[in-house]
Amino acid sequence: MPRSLTVDPKKVRKAGAVSVPEIPVNAYSRTLKQEQKRYGDDVLKRVYYDMLTIREFETMLNDIKTQGEYQGVAYDHKGPAHLSIGQESAAVGMCVNLDIEDFIFGSHRSHGEILAKCYAAVARLDEKQLESIMKSYLGGDTLKAVEGQSHDGVRDLAENFVLYGTLAEIFGRMAGFNRGLGGSMHAFFAPFGSMPNNALVGGSADITVGAALFKRINRKPGICIANIGDASAGCGPVWEAMMLSAMEQYRTLWPKDVGGAPPMIFNFINNFYGMGGQTAGETMGFDILARLGAGVNPEAMHAERVDGYNPLAVADAIARKREILEAGKGPVLLDTITYRISGHSPSDASSYRTKEEIELWREVDPIVSYRAMLSENGIASDDELNAMQDKVVAKVTQALKLASDLDVSPRPEASVIETTMFSNTPTDRFGEGEPEVLMPLSENPRVEQLTRKARYAFDENGKELSKMKVYAYRDALFEAMIHRFYEDPTMAAWGEENRDWGGAFAVYRGLTEALPYHRLFNSSISEGAIVGSGVGYALCGGRAVVELMYCDFMGRAGDELFNQMAKWQSMSAGVLKMPLVVRVSVGSKYGAQHSQDWSSLVAHIPGLKVMFPATPYDAKGMLNLALRGSDPVVFFESQRLYDIGEYFVKDGVPEGYYEVPEGEPDIKRAGSDLTILTIGATLYRALEAADELQEKWGIQAEVIDARFINPLNLDPIVESVRKTGKLVLASDACERGSYLHTIASQVNRLAFNYLDGPPAVVGSRNWITPAYEMEDVFFPQKEWIIDTIHEAVLPLSGHTATTVQTDGDYVRRYKAGV
Amino acid sequence: MATEVLMPRQGQSVESCIIVAWKKQVGDSVQEGDVLCEVETDKATFEVESPVSGTLISVLFEDGDEVPVLEQIAFVGQAGEEPPVSGAAGSAEAGPDATKGSTDTPAAGADPAAAEAASETSRAAADTGAQAAAVATRSGSGDGSGRVFISPRARDRAERAGVPWQTLEGTGPGGRVIERDIEAAIAAGTVATRDAAEKLGAGAHAHAAGSGAGGRVTSADLEAGATVADSTQEAGTATGGDGSVEADPGTTRDRSTIETKLAGIRRKIASRMLESVQNSAQLTLHATGDARALLAYRARLKAAGVPYDGISLNDMVLFAVSRLLPRHPALNATFDGAAIHTHGAVHLGMAVDTERGLMVPVIRDADLRPLASISAEARRLAGACRGGNITADEMAGGTFTITNLGAMGIEMFTPVLNPPQVAILGVCSIEAKPVLKKDGSVEHIPSMGFSLTIDHQVVDGAPAGRFLKDLSESIAQFDLLLADTGFTGGAS
Repeated sequence: MPRSLTVDPKKVRKAGAVSVPEIPVNAYSRTLKQEQKRYGDDVLKRVYYDMLTIREFETMLNDIKTQGEYQGVAYDHKGPAHLSIGQESAAVGMCVNLDIEDFIFGSHRSHGEILAKCYAAVARLDEKQLESIMKSYLGGDTLKAVEGQSHDGVRDLAENFVLYGTLAEIFGRMAGFNRGLGGSMHAFFAPFGSMPNNALVGGSADITVGAALFKRINRKPGICIANIGDASAGCGPVWEAMMLSAMEQYRTLWPKDVGGAPPMIFNFINNFYGMGGQTAGETMGFDILARLGAGVNPEAMHAERVDGYNPLAVADAIARKREILEAGKGPVLLDTITYRISGHSPSDASSYRTKEEIELWREVDPIVSYRAMLSENGIASDDELNAMQDKVVAKVTQALKLASDLDVSPRPEASVIETTMFSNTPTDRFGEGEPEVLMPLSENPRVEQLTRKARYAFDENGKELSKMKVYAYRDALFEAMIHRFYEDPTMAAWGEENRDWGGAFAVYRGLTEALPYHRLFNSSISEGAIVGSGVGYALCGGRAVVELMYCDFMGRAGDELFNQMAKWQSMSAGVLKMPLVVRVSVGSKYGAQHSQDWSSLVAHIPGLKVMFPATPYDAKGMLNLALRGSDPVVFFESQRLYDIGEYFVKDGVPEGYYEVPEGEPDIKRAGSDLTILTIGATLYRALEAADELQEKWGIQAEVIDARFINPLNLDPIVESVRKTGKLVLASDACERGSYLHTIASQVNRLAFNYLDGPPAVVGSRNWITPAYEMEDVFFPQKEWIIDTIHEAVLPLSGHTATTVQTDGDYVRRYKAGV
Repeated sequence: MATEVLMPRQGQSVESCIIVAWKKQVGDSVQEGDVLCEVETDKATFEVESPVSGTLISVLFEDGDEVPVLEQIAFVGQAGEEPPVSGAAGSAEAGPDATKGSTDTPAAGADPAAAEAASETSRAAADTGAQAAAVATRSGSGDGSGRVFISPRARDRAERAGVPWQTLEGTGPGGRVIERDIEAAIAAGTVATRDAAEKLGAGAHAHAAGSGAGGRVTSADLEAGATVADSTQEAGTATGGDGSVEADPGTTRDRSTIETKLAGIRRKIASRMLESVQNSAQLTLHATGDARALLAYRARLKAAGVPYDGISLNDMVLFAVSRLLPRHPALNATFDGAAIHTHGAVHLGMAVDTERGLMVPVIRDADLRPLASISAEARRLAGACRGGNITADEMAGGTFTITNLGAMGIEMFTPVLNPPQVAILGVCSIEAKPVLKKDGSVEHIPSMGFSLTIDHQVVDGAPAGRFLKDLSESIAQFDLLLADTGFTGGAS
């Protein structure tokens, strides 16, 4: 809601009609002469060679999967192989006009795109660069497997390198491009601009938006292409990605010199089927996919249908669209039609289509017709073309021999997976240069305001200060954010209501004044794409902070959180880093869809760091930690806490920079008789319970705030329990499946002999969150903690329970599923 | 409708009883007032009578089980009637029902308001001592099998401190023994039974061994390094004690093999027995003494009638030993591993065989008592042991122990020392011993056997031999001994 744009009723209520620009369909009309002049015959011949390579590579895999051998080399590949026989021209055509800094992202069916992009890079790069890349990549492991084989120069070796690196990756080998940890559907080779391919349909769409944002915001050259299937048009995140990429603010509100909209193409590789579902005619209603552009912006995304069976038509389209993108007028939508002659996978019996239909497409096989074109026009002789065929078969055969041989290509050790789950590389700045800001930090109105606040909640007499005078949790978060914005030039933040409004909970108030639009902006309400674009931004090498407002909205970003953000560091074998912080706020007062603590959901997903501070000191120190890290962090906050002052650190929240040590729980109150462990805002209710235990029974409870969910150092918790023998765990997360149970189980294991009773978990009821006035029946209260202690751990003399925390009731609740 | 039979409460301080034996079996018809079973506390044995006439349709505990008072132990109903589920009987008392409600069937619909009634829980109870609350504690204890549950932490604490936790009443959830129960037991003086704990808390001191009900170790056994390694137990309760593996010889014999895990107190007894043997150099010497004077004197007493006819042969041996020990101070001693404590006073431990196992009450100042007094005290102590009202005080502080297996025709045995005492005398049967007379003929003289075990670490064979010789001679001339004042010096 920028104040600079007025919503004028006169204007918006005026009668009229929406006109949609014409969307070209197969409009390519250049002559061969024109193309010969444009590219030269060598490039035209290379297009054939590249297509032939992909065809042979995929045919080899098909033979391996269906017959167990190729060219006399036997191998049993148990993993997936989604082949693109018939789609080679779309891949090769796309790459003809792409440079190494142009990024392509793909799908589960992207072997062809990897080879096409890498071969294009091999053709363009000078030999020195090629050698340097091959020697340094994965410590030279990939190169070692192929350099001993005969080859004809560095480029020939580089081709072998690409074939082997891709195939070894598909076969899950240590020398594969991603140490075998990505496999067929995720393989990529970033140094040549072949970026992550994604096994989730449409998964690359919002990631590519993030990559394009990275290029724009950091003023990097190159365009980004999301190669996604026609069926992915049915996926919400793909639509979200289009919305996010087409925001008008890029061209209207962002500084002109940034360059406009993120330079990206939604390249729908339209083979007319989503597995067996026929998109045009059966599972979609768009008829011609290119039509979708009309729904997105006045330019209809410059959409057009391109004949993907003609590589030169595709190359031409990319060249034309590049101009639009470089002018900042994207995004672009291409409906690149093609046809998959092979099945969805080798197990596909093609029951959903006729032999006749397949035969029709075979008749226009792009490789056969392109060869005929070269031959008929005297660009290449049959001998030359046949020799290419022989060469390709020999190269693919050699790659198979090497990649299938366990001596040459061993599998990675399990430790490779463990060591790549997190990069753990604290980094002050991911880029060079001065961070772009609008004013010196000291002049920031909020920074100035904070100098007048008390950084400890009590005055010198121990009297609690009024909220207005106290430096609060939200201020602590602000300080961490603005610190890093002024340190790391790549850092950008976006989400819902991040600018102007200052974030829904006023954490970002003061940032609008400090930062240009391209470093802090409001996004479309596209939670999936907000996180997905953060993933794309981070894996390209920039620091991103995205915000989902309410924790509950994580449901909208499930794939992006669970499959993308969490996985790419390890699926890339550590080639990529993921300096992405997703801020989520646990709500209250707003009922069932705005009040959930889902820290346990993300705790279950390997690859995420999860933090949940409960005090201003921890909020600043932990966000500082997250914002200097290189790993993905889901950062939980609580709306119960934003205006809370610092109750624990007597010297107050430091004005300078500091970090809370990663994974360390914090003892908020020392005690000897019983341990209460909390996560999040429940800390304060646990302290009330500790007060009552002390007053009524003389029991000294030790209250520990876990602060971290992953990673988490269990030692201090175990140490406390060894001392006290008793543990109650509490948080606002629903009790069933709560991460507290995981901690409880670990304590059972690690401190069993010291336990005087079972660790008991106090969570929210396994219900919907009711109205604010009824929250005390849903969220753990002081009484629940006391009663649980009484019932399960340490019966309290003379105590009468006021809530039901009995074993019997737990059995009943579980039996009833509530 | 079946009628529940509760474990009666025997006095305020009694919290649980052990079922000694069921007198009726399931299916037996019973009359109101019929004895259903016999139960015991540390102090006494008593009978549980059937509250109504009918058929015993279920018993909830077996012989040897320890059952909290006011707990259901059986149901009497009509023949063929299904016994109700434990705890669900139609008791007018609110206690058990309320407890069940709070632990098993919580407030319907989980209405928090309903919780207040349902969750009037139980456990706090253990502290308040209020009766209703106490009921709740017990019916919630364990899993109804009579097993005692304990937290790992409390178990560790108990084992380090030597607290026999199996006999504690836990105050944790479900009656679990938790850390504070062990701490309380330690504070009370390392208890095994609640009564012992209370006594010790009240200032009593005990040094007997293995003397609790059912052969249980009491606090006294664990205190000051005293052990349960009592010779009388060794000799007399080979299969008795806590495990109670031996069937009553009168009943049909079960020929299957019964495994009784060495747990808790029995384990402790076993290890301390072994310790006794391992930590002392036990040597046993045997001798006999002419018993004719004893027998004659006994006949004389018997003929004299009340009050003399109650003085037994054993009393006479006690008397003789009490008079001899001051002359053999090396045997009236205790040894703590570092120093020998030779005692001027003679406090005679005497083994008493009871249904609950052997006990060793102590006749204080035996050296000062006339025979009649020794006899009366021995009788009183034995009665107290058998009646279950012996106190810890009465079993503490012995300086020498006498154990008598003569009635069972044992001709000789090797009593096991009762540390820290350094000697124990076993009294054997009287057998006719052929004696070669000067004229070459053989006379059969009734002779009493003696088996004296000494700790050879601190007592040499010669003084032990001299004591036995002195004893044999004293017995042979018992009438002369009677004339002896017993004073060999020192103050009374």
